Formats: sequence, C-alpha cells, structure tokens
Amino acid sequence: MPLVAAAALPHTPQLLVRPPTEDRDLVLRVHGALGEVKRRLTAARVDVIALIGGDHIEGFFLNAVPALAVYVGARAAGEFGRYRYAFEVHEPLARAMVEQGIEAGFDLTYSQDVPLDYAFYVPLHFAMPSPAVPIVPLYVNVYLPPQPAPARCYAWGRALRTILDARPERVALVASGGLSHFPGTDRYGSPDFEFDRALLASLAEGRGAETARFTGEELDKAGNVELRTWITLLGALGGARAEVLAYEPSWHHGNAVVTWPL
Amino acid sequence: MSDVHYFFPPASAYALNRFLFALKSDAAARARYAEDAERTLREFGLDAAACEALAAFDRDRLVGLGAHPYLVFMAQVRLSMEQDPGNFEYF
Repeated sequence: MPLVAAAALPHTPQLLVRPPTEDRDLVLRVHGALGEVKRRLTAARVDVIALIGGDHIEGFFLNAVPALAVYVGARAAGEFGRYRYAFEVHEPLARAMVEQGIEAGFDLTYSQDVPLDYAFYVPLHFAMPSPAVPIVPLYVNVYLPPQPAPARCYAWGRALRTILDARPERVALVASGGLSHFPGTDRYGSPDFEFDRALLASLAEGRGAETARFTGEELDKAGNVELRTWITLLGALGGARAEVLAYEPSWHHGNAVVTWPL
Repeated sequence: MSDVHYFFPPASAYALNRFLFALKSDAAARARYAEDAERTLREFGLDAAACEALAAFDRDRLVGLGAHPYLVFMAQVRLSMEQDPGNFEYF
C-alpha cells in the first residue's frame, strides 16, 4: 500500500495552552487549518500516522543523543501542563521501520521508553483522524548539536518511503515542526519569515529536494533547526507539490500547515 | 558562546543543563526547588556562578555559562505555567 497522506504541521505549545500573549484570531485560524488536515486524514482512511518530530530534550537528554530514532514501545505517553496524553503505537510498523532502516544502512536508535513531548502531541491533538489511529513516533535530533545533516535526513526519508510502500497499512507520514522560531534566544521576537515564505514557494513548485542542500548553519541562522523533520518527510515525497493550507506568522513563530496531495 | 543559536553543550555546563532539564521536565524537582532552593542546588552539584544566574533566572548569564537556550526557555515556561495558571487557556 503506498503512502496515502502527507502533511507538515506546527507544534508551538501556545496553540494548545493559549496564553494572553497570543493573537486569538491567528491561533484560531491555525486551528482551522489543522482541522482541515484532520478531515483529510479521516477521508484518506489512514491506518497509522508515522509522525516525524524533533525531540525537545524531553525524551532524550545528554546521557545519549540519538540522531535518528524510532519509538517501538506499546504506547507513547507524556504530559504538558494539564494535558496528559497516551497513544497506541503501531508496533509491527515501528519494528519494520527500525529493522529495515538498519538493514538499509541507517544506524538508528530505538527506544521502548521515552516520554512523548508536545512536539508530537500538539499536531495529534488537533489533527488525529476520527476514530483515532495508532502512531509511530520517529525522532530526529534538532536541538542538540551536532544534529544530523539535512542530506542525511532527506536520505532517511527516501528510505522510509521504500519501507512504507511495501507495507499493508495505509500510512500517513507527517512532519511536526517549524517554521522559523528561536526559542530561548534573543531572536525569539524576530523569526525569519522571509526564509519561510521562500521555502513554501519552492515546496509548492515541487522543489523539496533542494532542502537536502541546506547546511546546518543555514537552518540555525533561519530559526529552522526543526526543518530537519520536514526534510525527512520531503525525502519520502520526491517532487510532489505542496499545498500550503496556512502560513500564519505570529510575533514569535512562523506557523505553517502544509499537505502534499498524493 | 558561539555563532549558532543552538550550540554544542559544553561538558562544563552538564550539571547546569541537568538541573534545567529537571526544572523543565520534573514537577517533583520544581517542588523541591521551591521548598528549599539552596539544598536542591547543592544536590545538583551547581557552582556559585550557576546558582547566582539561576537565582536571577538571567537567560544571558545562564547561556553564557553553557546552558542550552531551549532548556532555559522551557524551564521558565514550565515554572510560569505552575505559578500563573490563570495566564493559560486564556481564549
């Protein structure tokens, strides 16, 4: 069964916890776009969501920093504020990804015991199809240098597509992250929206392969270290053209909701 | 510290980053810190410079000591979510 859906979604926690620092109408517009993704995933009758996220130093700390990891536990759970969440994990697909990924030459880490951070929860909170389906969390190290090179992320995405296309499940591959933001730095209030707009324009033309040529330094400078999750997804999508459902730049974050009609 | 926003965490800052990680991710550690800051900082093996920067929660000083910017940011978010719950779910 080939891949049946693809999307890239934001996970800024303000979408969830809605502090008074945020523009209410902007947040509600992003919610609306995420609701559209939910409708499309439901209509696509997906069996499982493989969700590529960047660990926010929550699942993994400095005791071990995996570049690329697959979560192969029975369920994935975590908390953020008053939100407590747990998702069933599609273990056969998760195992196939880690086994076949390693077979294909990717030295993946796997874990059966990491908490799931809000980077995974926020997109699922808003876009999980109804009824809910199991997930496979896929980790890309985005915050602890040295992060995997964009070209490596792209190659991993290409390998993922080969693995997924041979599976019996109807899989949605979803990237969580971005776009430009600089949490914890003095650029928090001035994201690089021009970078984001140029990127989205190129993705709409099907030029996703170009993202493999970014350097880590370029991504850091643009507030787009998390783009590695998108680049992994783009590796699976080849020249597919993006449909940008929303781009909503807030005072601290370029919120982008994007799908790829397959 | 470095040209990039998210720099390699120096080994010298491990104790500090471990404490920020605990503040961010462990409600029990936050409660212990609120109850007895001095003892908690001692248990985490933090030196005087780190303790001073933490007392003021001065981001630039913390980052200057090698703290990971994201850990500083999210530790502060988690602390404020607990201290000012009314500031969330505002609309």
